[in-house]
Amino acid sequence: MSAIEVHAVTKSFRKSRVLDGVSFRVEPGKTFAFLGRNGAGKTTLIKMLLGLLKRDDGSLKVLGLDPEVAPYELRDRVGYLAEDQTMYGWMRVDEIVRFIAPFYSRWDHDLALKYLREFELPLATKIKHLSKGQNVRLGLVLALAHRPELVILDDPALGLDPIMRKQFNRDLVTHLQGAGATVFYSSHLLYEVEPVADEVAILHRGRIVRQAHPETLRADVKQLVIEARMAPLVPRDLILDARPDGADVALTVTSAPRVIGMLAAEGITSRVVDLNLDDIFEAYVSGRQFEPTTPTPELAPV
Amino acid sequence: MLLRVEKGSATPISRQLADQIAALFTAGKLKAGDRLPSVRELARELAVNQNTILRVYEKLASEGVVEMRQGQGTFVAELSRAGRRRAHCDKLADEFRSLVRQALSLGLSKRELQELLSSALAELDDEAVSPLTESERV
Repeated sequence: MSAIEVHAVTKSFRKSRVLDGVSFRVEPGKTFAFLGRNGAGKTTLIKMLLGLLKRDDGSLKVLGLDPEVAPYELRDRVGYLAEDQTMYGWMRVDEIVRFIAPFYSRWDHDLALKYLREFELPLATKIKHLSKGQNVRLGLVLALAHRPELVILDDPALGLDPIMRKQFNRDLVTHLQGAGATVFYSSHLLYEVEPVADEVAILHRGRIVRQAHPETLRADVKQLVIEARMAPLVPRDLILDARPDGADVALTVTSAPRVIGMLAAEGITSRVVDLNLDDIFEAYVSGRQFEPTTPTPELAPV
Repeated sequence: MLLRVEKGSATPISRQLADQIAALFTAGKLKAGDRLPSVRELARELAVNQNTILRVYEKLASEGVVEMRQGQGTFVAELSRAGRRRAHCDKLADEFRSLVRQALSLGLSKRELQELLSSALAELDDEAVSPLTESERV
């Protein structure tokens, strides 16, 4: 059984369709990074996973349960860190831990204390006096101390500085992956996600436009520089982005090994450029199509 | 063992790490029989997914650079002369490939590249024949 199964889920707010047939699955024990630009609908989907929002259509199973049918049972088994988590600022760290504990049937107080120690969180400090990084770590303690099978984190790295982001990744590797938990987390920082994710999915215009292991993605998506007049030989549906450069054109393509082979079969050598994940993400979410017939317009003098 | 993960690089992380470990070995900083950190330790230290570290060790094991011993850990392998030679050759071949790519992107032809290599080799031959002429040329 998959830890998360989402099939053809749609959601509109008034007239705008935020999710338009989203499908993916997350296998148990994997770390799954959910990527998209701000406003792509990541938080909307996460809220549905927890039964905090109703879908318009499609099906959705988390740990085998439908979140709309069994939200409380589900939330007892899932650890959740909300985007911009707001906690009672007037409570002290030890107070909020005791306040949260009774909501979970499997709360492990010793584990909570162990995390508090390891994360070097000051027990007697009021939440409003914690730093942003300490806040995220406290949120993690509260999300993890009931030993959830699945942890859902909504943009946990938001607002963290580079040192804290690395520390967060380390916490994730040590405490979550090390314990065999399934992790589903959203982010818009690809280079932060790459070291830790088993799988990345890119949400764009309400759909998952790509789901793959980061290194598979890198091997599959490359930039090829060829003569512009040869560009029509490349199947259009494989081109994510096209940038003319004089007589040449730089095409960012999927199935790159196949495209290189096709071009080679026609006697065309292409210069192959390896891309980093940010380049690949950009090609998927803001790629420009190749317009072969449009002549370059002469710029009118201003 | 000092390793570095360069974020946002066009080189995948597993390749970065495998290359760095192989380089430490080539440079003699890792010796046959040395024990590498456990997958878990290295994952924690670098803040990198354990599966990625495992893939790096498996790749190095398949190349004969390390040996993964069940229940004991990962050790730098005892390499035969031939194996060591092959490891150096692989490394050089990689560097050649990237040099060739660089040259082609600068617009050099394959022929010009071959000429560059030939003249570099010829220079070495000259030095080998008369090492004393080095000072005269300067």
